[in-house]
Amino acid sequence: MTAPNLLEASDLSVSIQSMQALRGFSIAVPQGAMIGIVGRNGAGKTTLMRTIMGHLPLVAGRVTFEGQDLAGVPRHGRAPLGIGYMPEDRQLVPELTVEENILLPVWVSKTLKAEERLAFVYGMLPEVEAMKDRKALLLSGGQQKLVALCRALAVGTRLLLLDEPFEGVAPALSHRLSEVISGLKGTALSVLISQSDLNHSQSLFDRQYVIERGANVAASHAA
Amino acid sequence: MSRLALVLGAAGIMAVLLLVGLALPRWLLFLVTLAASHGIVSVGILVIMRGGLVSFGQGLVFAIGGYAAALSFTQLGITDVIVLILIGTLAATLVGAAVGPLLARYTGIFFGMLTLALSMVAYGVLIKSPAVGGSDGFNIPRGTLFGVRLEGAAGDYALYALAIVLTGLAATAVALHTRSARGLMTRAIHGNGLRVEYLGTSVQSVMAINFTIAAALGGLGGALTIVALGHIEPTFAYWTQSGEFVFVAILAGSQSVTAVFIASLALELVRSFSNLYFPNTWQLALGLFLLAIILFLPAGIGSLWAGRRKAPATGAETQA
Repeated sequence: MTAPNLLEASDLSVSIQSMQALRGFSIAVPQGAMIGIVGRNGAGKTTLMRTIMGHLPLVAGRVTFEGQDLAGVPRHGRAPLGIGYMPEDRQLVPELTVEENILLPVWVSKTLKAEERLAFVYGMLPEVEAMKDRKALLLSGGQQKLVALCRALAVGTRLLLLDEPFEGVAPALSHRLSEVISGLKGTALSVLISQSDLNHSQSLFDRQYVIERGANVAASHAA
Repeated sequence: MSRLALVLGAAGIMAVLLLVGLALPRWLLFLVTLAASHGIVSVGILVIMRGGLVSFGQGLVFAIGGYAAALSFTQLGITDVIVLILIGTLAATLVGAAVGPLLARYTGIFFGMLTLALSMVAYGVLIKSPAVGGSDGFNIPRGTLFGVRLEGAAGDYALYALAIVLTGLAATAVALHTRSARGLMTRAIHGNGLRVEYLGTSVQSVMAINFTIAAALGGLGGALTIVALGHIEPTFAYWTQSGEFVFVAILAGSQSVTAVFIASLALELVRSFSNLYFPNTWQLALGLFLLAIILFLPAGIGSLWAGRRKAPATGAETQA
């Protein structure tokens, strides 16, 4: 791979309440690539995502974005870099409408334009536009996943971190999600996706990392 | 559209109240004036509460607004009530802007206790300061409005009108703020602050600004109170006073700004009447009143209309 790495995490060690959750894990996300990370529950996938977003302090190692060390970037300074994060449990604001949820990060951004981002997001997921005026709390879990993906897409102009996007979603919606995500392939957007099983959309990834007990296990290249 | 409706509704309510005021007896006029002045302080608590925090020390900014306005009158000879109110509001805003960033570092009960501590420190300082009257405080003569001294029935009405217009404008501004991006972010902080951070805003800055807004409202309320009451004392900063503001905010619920004023008026009425008919047990009446609200309207008075139908007037936040 010749493309420069957009995100690079090396030798990450992270502890959660004195339990070591990451033990020297390393991963690289090249510009425009789609990278998968696979591991069982508790292997450290979510910890990795949260570490990249700055929610957990690093014991050792470093995370760089476009060569810039993220250690000096405050938690709220990562979205403005163009990093969109979709947590596994969605974390929408229940009292706000679908569109308000999607626009929250755009409103507080100094550079993003609401109409442009909405047009882009609704272009990718027209079914979300159809429910834009509904309150988030009235949506099913799967629909909320779609909205959380939209919210990440709205702000993540460079990199998307998708934490188990297919988990706990009805098969039809899961299929739709993977269709949308495949649509991002080959664009300038880099994507990092975590999964707990291998069977899903393996062909999607340019490269797949395996994580086990917080450490790398022989990474495999897709064909 | 809904913003326009909100502004028009607020203007309508203010106009009606100004007309109604012409017919009210003087005692009730005074009661409503105080209810509005105190209510706006509780609106400030609402702003903070929407982010999941409660300030138990709004007496601090209430007292600062009051003392700044009162001292400007007695020491600097400024008699125009509008100028006095502006001074009080500004003083409290500055204090809020100074302590806001410090308080914003704390969450939950620590935030509440810290605000309480700050207000009690202010109370302690005021009570030991003979220069500002110590525990007795001091009196302020009636001020002037556009050069006219506010005396008699006309003066009472002028103060009433001033309280209605100023708190009405401030409350409308708050209702608009809660619908703005920053206001909605405050909603998002409630329950999960991290979510706001990965979306690109600092929780601390949002909460610091909210505290400063609340401080400005507290100062406005304090200054309005002293020009109407003609007296100030350290109990403005005492914890029972702060508790009363929280009481009103809980009574109102967090959906509606209008409900805060209704709750504030209800408190003043319950207090006045129970004080009149059973002076020794009026707190008991207050307690029963709160109990009834908690049992039958757990989301506050505002839940009677907000969230059920679309935005009426300043009953604004039907987003609940």
